[in-house]
Amino acid sequence: MKLTYKMIPEGMLEGKFVPLNIVFIDYKEVKEAGITPMEAFQAVANTIDGPVGMNIFDQDVVTTTSDGVMVEGTVRFMAAADRGKINKDFGYLEMVEMPYSDELIKEEPHLIQWKKNYPGKKLFRGPDPATKKIPVHNVCISGRASNNNSATEMMNIVTMEEILLPILGQQQIMRNGKVILGLTGGIISVGIGMIMPEMYGRVFPTRQFPAGETAHGSGVYAQTLKAHIPCIVADKSVLAENIIKCFEAGCIPGRTVGGSPAVLSVAKRMGVKIDMDNITDKAYEELASIGCTKEWMKEKVDILTPEEIIAHADDIIPGVDDATKYNVPDLIKEFTIEV
Amino acid sequence: MKLMHTKLPEFLKKMRVAANESECPKEITIRGLENLTSAKMQSLRTGRIEHAVREMTMKEGVDRIEFVVMPRVPETMHTVIIKGIDKEGNIKSAILEIVNILHPTEEAELLGCDDIDDRRPAIGRH
Repeated sequence: MKLTYKMIPEGMLEGKFVPLNIVFIDYKEVKEAGITPMEAFQAVANTIDGPVGMNIFDQDVVTTTSDGVMVEGTVRFMAAADRGKINKDFGYLEMVEMPYSDELIKEEPHLIQWKKNYPGKKLFRGPDPATKKIPVHNVCISGRASNNNSATEMMNIVTMEEILLPILGQQQIMRNGKVILGLTGGIISVGIGMIMPEMYGRVFPTRQFPAGETAHGSGVYAQTLKAHIPCIVADKSVLAENIIKCFEAGCIPGRTVGGSPAVLSVAKRMGVKIDMDNITDKAYEELASIGCTKEWMKEKVDILTPEEIIAHADDIIPGVDDATKYNVPDLIKEFTIEV
Repeated sequence: MKLMHTKLPEFLKKMRVAANESECPKEITIRGLENLTSAKMQSLRTGRIEHAVREMTMKEGVDRIEFVVMPRVPETMHTVIIKGIDKEGNIKSAILEIVNILHPTEEAELLGCDDIDDRRPAIGRH
């Protein structure tokens, strides 16, 4: 049987440094090959003479972004390998399914999007903490290769270089859609702290931070946390489309969806009311440091239709420094191996 | 006796002696414990490790020994203490924080080597 996958090799990619090899495998390919996810990872790892982070992406399920926007497709299985070796204790993790229940929707109200936008789809975010040996992070490590935060951040721990791979960017990679390659910058650095409380989340295993709070809690320093790190994210029109669907399902920015700069920017243009009372002073301090002040949130702007917001998403949604757009096939190559 | 622990300086000395005074004496470099100033090392394994060092000195083709200590679980959780010291040297104020540190696993130290005898018990066992 054959297994086809996409790979970004370690080294320079259009002027940005990729610190390890990165592999994306479609779960359909694994199932069609009749092998287990671990067997697929090992087969690919055997062909790579260096550190590699590997993800198996299921396009038929749903997940949430760090700010709580529900999107289609996510990583179900993740691994890290170095020169073909997958560490037997720490090299592989599986995400856990979160079954639908009224209790879950009550605890995590951003999931009202689920029934309205993606009825019947299975939800996966992070792993079950009871099944992993590493204490805190949702991370796979083998030698130099580290695949962290449930497969959305990869590092070479020896060179200490890193790359961010937010889930919508991976969705676009799997769909041969459009992505932006750039540097994470201050705005996304702040934005990834504006999370929703989730059980078995991609980064946090429990509902540690309430909506409206910042997970960073680092004031003006939040904007520097990931600023210089390369990232591959979805085209902003894709992000806008998903945020709009989230609002159409009834989510309120700052209360039932995280108050990230992207969410707040789309809310302003769509005329969706931001729950400013629910955003904490610590979160405001971080948002204000990159220009999202209370005055900016209250500022009167022309309200646009969803179609107009999507068409002008590049101007409406801030974030990503030194950014260039690519059609995925122009940026990422496919490989096929016998398994 | 097996529940006793060995002093860090004694542990380091034992490893140097095991390498330098074996039947096939070899030079040894020790890395990974530089940051520790006071620590007690598990005695049960200290003896086994001494034995392993001597065994390695006697392997055919081995010219010197590199001895590396690294976290078995590649994520360690540390307390950070930020102390404000007054002019008299007393701790005037302190903030406690944590930082979780990710480390490479052993594969990063073993690139290109196929002759690996893994004698470690499963995680959670001695």
